[in-house]
Amino acid sequence: MKRFLASALLITLVFGTLDIKSFASEDSESPSGEIVLKVCNWEEYIDEGDWDEDEVIDLESGDIFGENSLVEDFEDWYFETYGQKVKVQYSCFGTNEELYSMLTMGDEYDLVCPSDYMIMKLMSEGMAEPFSDDFFDESVEENYYINGVSPFIREVFEENEIGGEKWSKYAAGYMWGVTGIIYNPEMLSREEASTWKVFTNKNIYRRITIKDNVRDAMFAAIGAVKSDYLLSDEFRKRQDYSESLMDEMNDVSDETLLDVQNYLQLAKDNLYSFETDSGKADMITGKVAANYQWSGDAVYAMEQAEEDDFILEFAVPEESTNLWFDGWIMLKNGIKGDTAKKHAAESFINFLSMPENAVRNMYYIGYSSVISGGEDDDTVYDYIKWNYEADPEEEDTVEYPLGFYFSGDYEDEDYILTVSEQQTRRMLYAQYPPKEVIDRSAVMLYFDTDTNAKVNRMWINVRCFNAKRIPVWFYCLLGVLLGGGIFVVIRTKIKNRM
Amino acid sequence: MKKTFARKYLGIPYAIFLVLFVIAPLLVLFYYAFTNATGHFTVENLIGFFTDSNTIGTLLYSLALALVVTLVCLLIAYPIAYVLARSKFNSKSVVIMLFVMPMWINFTLRLTALKEILTAIEGNLAFHPFINTVIGMTYDFLPFMILPLYNTISKLDGSLLEAARDLGAGEIQVFLKVTLPLSMPGIVSGTAMVFLPAMTNYVVPDMLYNSTYIMGSLIGSYFSAYDWHNGSMIALVLLLIIVLFTLLTGSEEEEKRGGALL
Repeated sequence: MKRFLASALLITLVFGTLDIKSFASEDSESPSGEIVLKVCNWEEYIDEGDWDEDEVIDLESGDIFGENSLVEDFEDWYFETYGQKVKVQYSCFGTNEELYSMLTMGDEYDLVCPSDYMIMKLMSEGMAEPFSDDFFDESVEENYYINGVSPFIREVFEENEIGGEKWSKYAAGYMWGVTGIIYNPEMLSREEASTWKVFTNKNIYRRITIKDNVRDAMFAAIGAVKSDYLLSDEFRKRQDYSESLMDEMNDVSDETLLDVQNYLQLAKDNLYSFETDSGKADMITGKVAANYQWSGDAVYAMEQAEEDDFILEFAVPEESTNLWFDGWIMLKNGIKGDTAKKHAAESFINFLSMPENAVRNMYYIGYSSVISGGEDDDTVYDYIKWNYEADPEEEDTVEYPLGFYFSGDYEDEDYILTVSEQQTRRMLYAQYPPKEVIDRSAVMLYFDTDTNAKVNRMWINVRCFNAKRIPVWFYCLLGVLLGGGIFVVIRTKIKNRM
Repeated sequence: MKKTFARKYLGIPYAIFLVLFVIAPLLVLFYYAFTNATGHFTVENLIGFFTDSNTIGTLLYSLALALVVTLVCLLIAYPIAYVLARSKFNSKSVVIMLFVMPMWINFTLRLTALKEILTAIEGNLAFHPFINTVIGMTYDFLPFMILPLYNTISKLDGSLLEAARDLGAGEIQVFLKVTLPLSMPGIVSGTAMVFLPAMTNYVVPDMLYNSTYIMGSLIGSYFSAYDWHNGSMIALVLLLIIVLFTLLTGSEEEEKRGGALL
């Protein structure tokens, strides 16, 4: 009886607390009329303010300085603009998979910022809340996102669909980039670094790293095994080049997966490591000669290395590059049809899309914002100029067209920047690659459940020690040793008896 | 009567802990191990474990790794524990503290330092992944081997050793016939504390860039692909192996202790 009482007590305790918790979270408006907005973003992926005095970005259009975090600034701005108090509960996740697990475990968020494929997955599973029509109204000044998003990103979000619905209906971009190889020009030529076959290059034996996640590794491996075909004139001159490239890079047929597996197994014996976060540090300290990297992290690594007068460069392989982005997406289980909350969530995106806030984020995070500022606002372009424009005295300079990202017109004369020649291989190249790089970029789609299992199997085949690789003599030796051991034990036992 | 009641209540915090954090997760593990993606009962995961040459290979690789780490730990720890325990130092506790102290520094920090040292020695970490992993794990687990050995050897009854000498045994014979058998409990518990973590601790191979999975990383890779079922089954089989191992060593330990007393 006592035991029963104890367990009953325990159960009430456990469920009691759960109940209180779920009750509390359902209440989006606290008694004081404050809206509670739950936001979940990547770690260190928003300006947290607290800049040093000398960090002021002095642009032609005015100074930009991060005093408070953008989250606090948003709360103030929302109250000033709409006269409504909002409290942001800001939390972070480490990987897309972690975020997905959190959501399937029942965590409720209003606004999250996963990567492209996770956005597609959430959309296809019906977890995403569509934006309201007002969000797309260009006549409203506060709609900074739709007025300021780069024409290039806007096009990507308009043209791609999942389950018959445009991405733009559910997702707003935040940061974007490409993937490529950051390398030490003293140890590897630019030509060698400009192919996905670099991972089996024996010249840098055990001096190259690849990402320790199956999606990135697979993209590189597909590029490597299909290299000849992707680089052939026949393929490149096709009418439907972009679509075909996307199909090829998203090919998960059994034959391709087998090729990918073989390539990665070869690469494994040539790699320094599979890395999750150590690649940048190993690159900066010179332990490795080349490193698979996302463009934003590559910028960071190049800047860090430069402080020690160590010059690194960034190359995007000729075959193709993975165009990726992280974007904001509202969730049904958090918003629950609450229009006030939805407005706050959309305003949060708009606030982050204000050109000066986009610059603050770009400065803090190092990635390229999807915001170009629209037609009238040149803050973002000024920031790039502030960052990269060559000194008037500098000799080795080139004209670098950026119009594609700002007005949509590659030739636009308003957006041609004079930069030092090496920037065409370094930070500027990584942050705003030339148009031919964008032309050969492909978005990597999400894997459905079956494909996911298949791909994971491939990955395990690459990473595991296969029992079939153990030679027969080893098993024989093992048998002899075991037999010998047993024999000795039995003999001693018999001896002891006697 | 009253006294026993009070004692019983002392166990309540642990009982709650046990139910919430040991038994409940185990049940969840069992559930996932024996179901498939649709939630139906299946033994496919179990069959899969023993028919997949990757899983078996990883198991063998982990076993080999753990075996080498344990042997190296034992070879380093026994002499030092013996010397410390037998020495006439007054400040023995200070010396033993010196060995335990590294444990107080966060181990990822220690591994990062080790990484730099190994790079300085070898030139490139990636040339010797297996050896590096062994060194890293030995570095990590050595105190767990030294402490039990030191404890057993220092508690050895000196009169037994004197008796052996009186009966004409040489120093080597004393060691082999008396000290070593009597320190067997220490060896067994030290082995258990090193061998089992060495099989599953995937942070060390990860940080020292061993690209080959061990059991822990294999489970992790299933989980990150949302395959809770196969991952749970591997964890469960590993658990059974550990239980078996503990039972085997446990009974041997008692046998040895009994033998020594006789």
